[in-house]
Amino acid sequence: MEPLSRFFHRRSEKALADTALQAAISRATGKFLGARADAVAAFPGFEAARDEGSRIRRETLDRLDFHLARFIAEAERRGAVVHVARDGAEACEIAARVAKEEGVALAVKSKSMLAEEIGLNEALKSAGVDVVEADLGEYIVQLAGEPPSHILAPAVHMARERVARLFEEKLGEPYTDRIPELVGIARRRLREKFLTAGMGITGANFLCADTGSVVLVTNEGNGRMGTILPRVHLVVAGIEKVIPGLADLPVLLRLLTRSATGQPISTYVSVLTGVKRPEDPEGPERLHVILVDNGRTGILQGKYRDILKCIRCGACLNVCPVYQSVGGHAYGWVYSGPMGSVLTPLLAGLAEGAPLANASTLCGACAEVCPVKIPLPEFLLELRADEREQGLKDPAEVFGMKGYAAVMGRAGILEALERFIGVISQVLFKEGKAPWLPFRFSAWTDRRDFPAPSPQPFRKLWKKQRGIRP
Amino acid sequence: MAQNRSVPVSLFFTCLADAFFPRVGFATAAVLERFGAEVRVPLSQTCCGQPAFNSGNRREARKMARKFLKAFAGDGYIVTPSGSCAAMVKNEYPALFRDEPAMLSLASLAGERTYELSQFLVDVLGVTDPRSSFRGKVTYHDSCHLRRGLGVFEAPRKLLRSIPGVTLVEMEESDRCCGFGGVFSIKYPHISCRMVDDKIERILATGAQFVTSGDIGCLMNIGGMISRSGYPVKPVHLAEILAGDVEVPL
Repeated sequence: MEPLSRFFHRRSEKALADTALQAAISRATGKFLGARADAVAAFPGFEAARDEGSRIRRETLDRLDFHLARFIAEAERRGAVVHVARDGAEACEIAARVAKEEGVALAVKSKSMLAEEIGLNEALKSAGVDVVEADLGEYIVQLAGEPPSHILAPAVHMARERVARLFEEKLGEPYTDRIPELVGIARRRLREKFLTAGMGITGANFLCADTGSVVLVTNEGNGRMGTILPRVHLVVAGIEKVIPGLADLPVLLRLLTRSATGQPISTYVSVLTGVKRPEDPEGPERLHVILVDNGRTGILQGKYRDILKCIRCGACLNVCPVYQSVGGHAYGWVYSGPMGSVLTPLLAGLAEGAPLANASTLCGACAEVCPVKIPLPEFLLELRADEREQGLKDPAEVFGMKGYAAVMGRAGILEALERFIGVISQVLFKEGKAPWLPFRFSAWTDRRDFPAPSPQPFRKLWKKQRGIRP
Repeated sequence: MAQNRSVPVSLFFTCLADAFFPRVGFATAAVLERFGAEVRVPLSQTCCGQPAFNSGNRREARKMARKFLKAFAGDGYIVTPSGSCAAMVKNEYPALFRDEPAMLSLASLAGERTYELSQFLVDVLGVTDPRSSFRGKVTYHDSCHLRRGLGVFEAPRKLLRSIPGVTLVEMEESDRCCGFGGVFSIKYPHISCRMVDDKIERILATGAQFVTSGDIGCLMNIGGMISRSGYPVKPVHLAEILAGDVEVPL
């Protein structure tokens, strides 16, 4: 997927003007947040679980090479073929080769953000493989030809009326905006695909190193069906998805489902270990796992290592007032909200992603909910500092900051300037408010007043009242 | 109450109070003096460097931090009517000087001495009643840096509730960001305005006459939208409410 994050400003303006989108986002994030709050309140051990989850993720990353090697050995011992891809292009090549060698023409796919990141669907399509999204939200956005707008709820930006029209147009179904009927249509359509597909494609929520298992956390059952019915199961997963062992899973599941949807547990948790053995009633005959680096090793070695702790729960998106205002598409790439604002500059380049790192008030709501305690606001600040270091900042901003530091560097200069502006403001502004400001500051006064500067600054008045001695 | 003991306090009045709201500086000094603080105002102070730090311009932020640490050298408390400025000194200065051990220890010491006004009144001076003459129905907006940065939630509420003339009414999501964010408000004014619209909706729903907060930045943002749109609610800084009548030699 081609990143368009550098256009965040324009895209976010467009999103704000879209009232249907606004209503849909606020309904969905509100629902998620309420459910999360209830689930956390009902689980007294949540804070302790956060500490534990954070520790597990951090320690895994500290020895990622060891855990990955173990995962590969254990998975292969149980019949999986594990591939390692340096980047997205290589991962797509491997996936296309696997599909060709396994003779696959149709694949059913569960939701995977990594697949979006590396553009897997497009790559398989050009290799002659038809990929059908089997997660309801993904199915909808695929029909609409749009990328997902939320890492958890891909079609969160669409009202049901839009989905109804989409099903009418693309599937030729009679119009209905009743949700159970819409779900029924999707289920019927997808059922044929499940039964005929040669391959099921999934991501992974976790990879257990000690058993070589792939863990899928889903609610719709499409993940399980897609991994059991087709002959081949293809997993694409980022290298950071590994955890030491099955014993680490419970605490991470507790955190993930509560943070994501407010469920104590998701409808399905599938722990898929190896290929179907002769005595197994079901399961894939062939299992391929592609472990994708795509920039992660670089992140692992730098100061942003902790962003790889992310378990993709989406809580930071739901709670972020910026995400709530503009929705996922404005961010211009796969990942949105606070975690996306950190990951995008790291994965797609700072020049591409810097607008996202700047599009935050640093309010800290994200860090408060993150189940694995990623210091998201600190990372946003750090990325902004990198932007300056690498000479990527707007020269006007750097100039302005140098001017600010020069004035603020001496109280005498500041006071002289304050008094000068104070006098001018007396002439220009009435009733203590400035309805316009010069230069870029006009961005403030388009819709808001600015306070008129005081005729005399505090420091001058204080000296007047108390004498020169402080 | 701690009337007779003399507590040395350096007033960190903030650049925004200096240039735009001198009343807030005088109100802060008045409340502190009411409860026995011996208020000094280091006149070489300017800005803590937060605008530069938050926008990633650390060279300038470091310069400002050095200047701040020099202006406030010595001992005694440092008190400010701003949650975000206090959080800058307490939480961010150490990060700014992580590679300069000498500055780092200076920064940590200054951080330990620094308090936001309501936090200082309640936690250090043990004030339970600010003895304010302020009257009105007030709603309190939690600034992000005061609430999440410093963990101050109860102190301002305790003080407001104990003022006889004040009725405190809580708004929905009082700790939801107002959309100021410093440079953010200029870089992304459309998102900033949308956020402050959301905030004002919650403020108006309380029917309060006044909206208050412990951060001037938030009040500039909220107040700027109120002023432009003519909403029937008035922004007042927490220090002004706590002080009641303030004499400003304008």
